[in-house]
Amino acid sequence: MGKFNVLQHDLVPEHHLVPKKEEDKVLNELGIAKDLLPKISRSDPAIKALEEIHGPIESGTIIKIVRKSPTLGYSVYYRAITSEVFK
Amino acid sequence: MSTIIFKDTKKNLEALKKKGTYRYAVDSDVPIDTKLAYVTADKKQFIYRIIISSVEPYTESTELLEKKKTDLKSVLAVERVDSIDPIPLSEFRKSKKRLKEFSDFETVELPTIKMVEKATYVDTLSPGITEIMAIASAKKLELSVSVAEKLAHYKEKLSPENFSKLLDRIGVDLDTKKIDPHEAVGIIAAQSIGEPGTQMTMRTFHFAGVREMNVTLGLPRLIEIVDARRIPSTPSMTVYLKPEFEESEEVVMNVVKELENTTILDVADIITDITEMTLTIKPENNKMKERLVNNSDLLDALAKMKGITVLSDKESKEIIVKPQQESFKRLYQVQEQLKVQTIKGIPGIKRAIARIDQATSKWILYTQGSNLKEVLEIDEIDANRTYTNDIIEIAQVLGIEAARNSIFNEALRTLSEQGLEVDQRHLMLVADMMTFGGSVRAVGRQGISGRKSSVLARAAFEITTKHLLRAGLLGEVDPLTGVAENIIVGQPITLGTGAVNLVYRLNKK
Repeated sequence: MGKFNVLQHDLVPEHHLVPKKEEDKVLNELGIAKDLLPKISRSDPAIKALEEIHGPIESGTIIKIVRKSPTLGYSVYYRAITSEVFK
Repeated sequence: MSTIIFKDTKKNLEALKKKGTYRYAVDSDVPIDTKLAYVTADKKQFIYRIIISSVEPYTESTELLEKKKTDLKSVLAVERVDSIDPIPLSEFRKSKKRLKEFSDFETVELPTIKMVEKATYVDTLSPGITEIMAIASAKKLELSVSVAEKLAHYKEKLSPENFSKLLDRIGVDLDTKKIDPHEAVGIIAAQSIGEPGTQMTMRTFHFAGVREMNVTLGLPRLIEIVDARRIPSTPSMTVYLKPEFEESEEVVMNVVKELENTTILDVADIITDITEMTLTIKPENNKMKERLVNNSDLLDALAKMKGITVLSDKESKEIIVKPQQESFKRLYQVQEQLKVQTIKGIPGIKRAIARIDQATSKWILYTQGSNLKEVLEIDEIDANRTYTNDIIEIAQVLGIEAARNSIFNEALRTLSEQGLEVDQRHLMLVADMMTFGGSVRAVGRQGISGRKSSVLARAAFEITTKHLLRAGLLGEVDPLTGVAENIIVGQPITLGTGAVNLVYRLNKK
């Protein structure tokens, strides 16, 4: 809910949902279990904005983040959604 | 289709929610085409949403729930009532303006911003570069975009065979430059930031100013970033305007007015008269002019306050305020309230300064104090570029990834302003580590080091006895996988060659 689209802000990198089917592929590539991925809160503004586009998002979904990187041009990062809410 | 907001009691709404599809009588004239209603209990946060199928004029009936006993005007045919995440009043708009206050009932417009994902950066690369990147990734090579750009030039000159050889050579070079597996990157980052840090202490412990504004720089600022302080010592925002307003001085000055938070104490003296039990507000003319406030603004601000009577008329210069309840305690409370009562502006923004950027001759605003959430809602500003130096605030408003970028940017800027060159990768590591868990965590006892899984590693860092005692009470197990705990027990540490285990298989062959 908001008049301002958080995802368009210069500081916010691209957030993309990773479809359920591709999760295993991503985890295999990284050689890591899902609970060891960096986290992103369910209440994170960027996730809320994604929910407005895609509908409700379950916790445990993997988010693919494509950052602009000064060294590589762009770099890909993954975060898993936790139900934890930070104050 | 219209949307309404109104105030009601939680009790009424809970009763309505239980009924499911039902009819609800309210005490105001609701437009016929209303489909949605938001309800608040405290006039600030809206916590219920009502989906309405139709609206009828009020007729007496037993098949309905009543908001009040008297004055009923319309009946809402309620489809269902949902509890929602609290929405602040300022999210609603009336005739394209943000709502700042409302009486018991209002017809509003809902914000109609369409959420879209950011354009994919990879798609914006030119086809020549994506082609080179594709060839490289087929060779399992992770090329950076800047290298690919340089290679585009050679791709035209060289035959495909030779180009492939060139890529292979680059691959060999890249491999030698990659950091080795199990290298202690954290320690290297700590040393690389720490060493230039020592030079900073000697050179600056001061502030350096943007005209009349101070911003913390140097080591104190770096410590602030790494400690993830709730509020930085000098919160400050950089506000950009939408491209069409960037060169108009008039708009800039209006935005400055809209930003600056002016309280009564900023423009007037407050004098307490104990014998008469009154408070006298004496406006100071030059301060009023400077802040662009007039007497009627002052009276408007007073009208918003509760429990007071304003005794003077519009003509007189001094305004006398009397608490409705006569007691010294109340008098004191009112005085304290008067001091912080906002006349205009955004809470938290003490000062806003407009400056012309010399290179582009466009206006940029700098503020003292920070309130990102509300500033982003001003219509004239370019919300996509505006930012603050308060990292925690960025995490709350824009999300954890924006906070990571902001930690990186702020740290890099602080260091480079001092003429110190630290490799960006070290700062990226720190920023990634601080935002690993989904919230911004400090480096140190309260944050990253305090949350290591190993007891011995935590005990080795700070407050040894507390951690050991707690671990003993809870029966914690330490698998000795980290560095500190292995040093304590006298084993090879799990870094570099120590991280590799050799297993000899007897029965092979």
